[in-house]
Amino acid sequence: MSNDFYTTSILPYAGIIIKICRAYTNNQEDFEDYYQEVCLQIWKSRDRFKGQSEWSTWVYRLSLNVSMTLLKKRKNNPKYFASDILPEESEDSITVFADEALDHLYTAIKQLSEVDRAVILLYLEKKSYQEIAEIIGTNPNNIGVRVKRIKERLKKLLDGKIY
Amino acid sequence: MVRSIETIWKEGFVKSDTIVVPKLNDLYNKKSMHIVDKFTRMFKINLVAIVIGSFVITAMSVLVHIPYMGLVFFFLLNTLAFINYKLMNGLYTIDKNVNSYLYLKTFDSWMKQMILLNQRFSRLLYPLAFLSVVIGFWFGGIGGDIPGEELVQVLLVKFPDMELLFGLPLYPLLIVILVTGLLAYFADVIYTLDFNIVYGRVYHKLDDIIADMEELQN
Repeated sequence: MSNDFYTTSILPYAGIIIKICRAYTNNQEDFEDYYQEVCLQIWKSRDRFKGQSEWSTWVYRLSLNVSMTLLKKRKNNPKYFASDILPEESEDSITVFADEALDHLYTAIKQLSEVDRAVILLYLEKKSYQEIAEIIGTNPNNIGVRVKRIKERLKKLLDGKIY
Repeated sequence: MVRSIETIWKEGFVKSDTIVVPKLNDLYNKKSMHIVDKFTRMFKINLVAIVIGSFVITAMSVLVHIPYMGLVFFFLLNTLAFINYKLMNGLYTIDKNVNSYLYLKTFDSWMKQMILLNQRFSRLLYPLAFLSVVIGFWFGGIGGDIPGEELVQVLLVKFPDMELLFGLPLYPLLIVILVTGLLAYFADVIYTLDFNIVYGRVYHKLDDIIADMEELQN
């Protein structure tokens, strides 16, 4: 991967990738694995980007797909991941974000199903229902209802933890 | 007042230290380890299968009264397993304390060496395996009449003009020689096909990773 490509086409969207990778991992090692894998896949798939959507949408889609695939791979083959090889680190002891409320929110998001995580991340990133549906490949009519349900679930999960 | 999740999200990421971009390093370390481990596992299983197969074939050959075939197969398969077992020891000496690219390249060299040696051995293995089948059927069980000689007698009654060479029917003998020669000649191709069936996916994956890494370096 050339530095140019990374600097111009990935780095400006690193925030998106990080937000998604954080939602699918529980520790720093896995997070870095996911981040690197997403970057690599973006680079590898760059020729398939036809400009039919925004580059950021493409990055969202790829990040979600890669993260969900890795999560599945991890279930099938635990030794694939650093955290399974390296000494165990208590997940509770890791504070990822300086903002405590954001940390709690992420913890709650991680308790959602893989697809629900994708939906809420895109919603929080202010993607329209239409865009969310396009990225995930589902019917936009169902997204609104799904978002509402997820938000209710998150509220319950966060009950008393944030102010 | 309880903040909404939208607010938490927005405000949380405003803090500058929230997003720290990981460095892109050691990209392939775990992938490399993973692919080598996978191959080693497959290789070991294959060796065990060859040894077990040699016993099964020998036992079966005794049961169907062609023990000579079984004995040759036993010898050939165990020699094959022994050679590869020795080769596998080389796999354990690959230094893991080097960068991923060097690690994979060393592994790739080991693979190429292993393929080369097996291709050479196949030039003996396939023809000998074929000959062992022919010899097995020719001599039949240990002791008693020799089925091959009985067959020649039957053929001579039916075809009295049949040409013989050292007491063997000429044309079938030529066919056996031809097939043996062809097996020796195409041993490399047959071995490569065999190798691809068993290890093809892993080997091509290795090629892909090395190609990716080389592209990354450029």
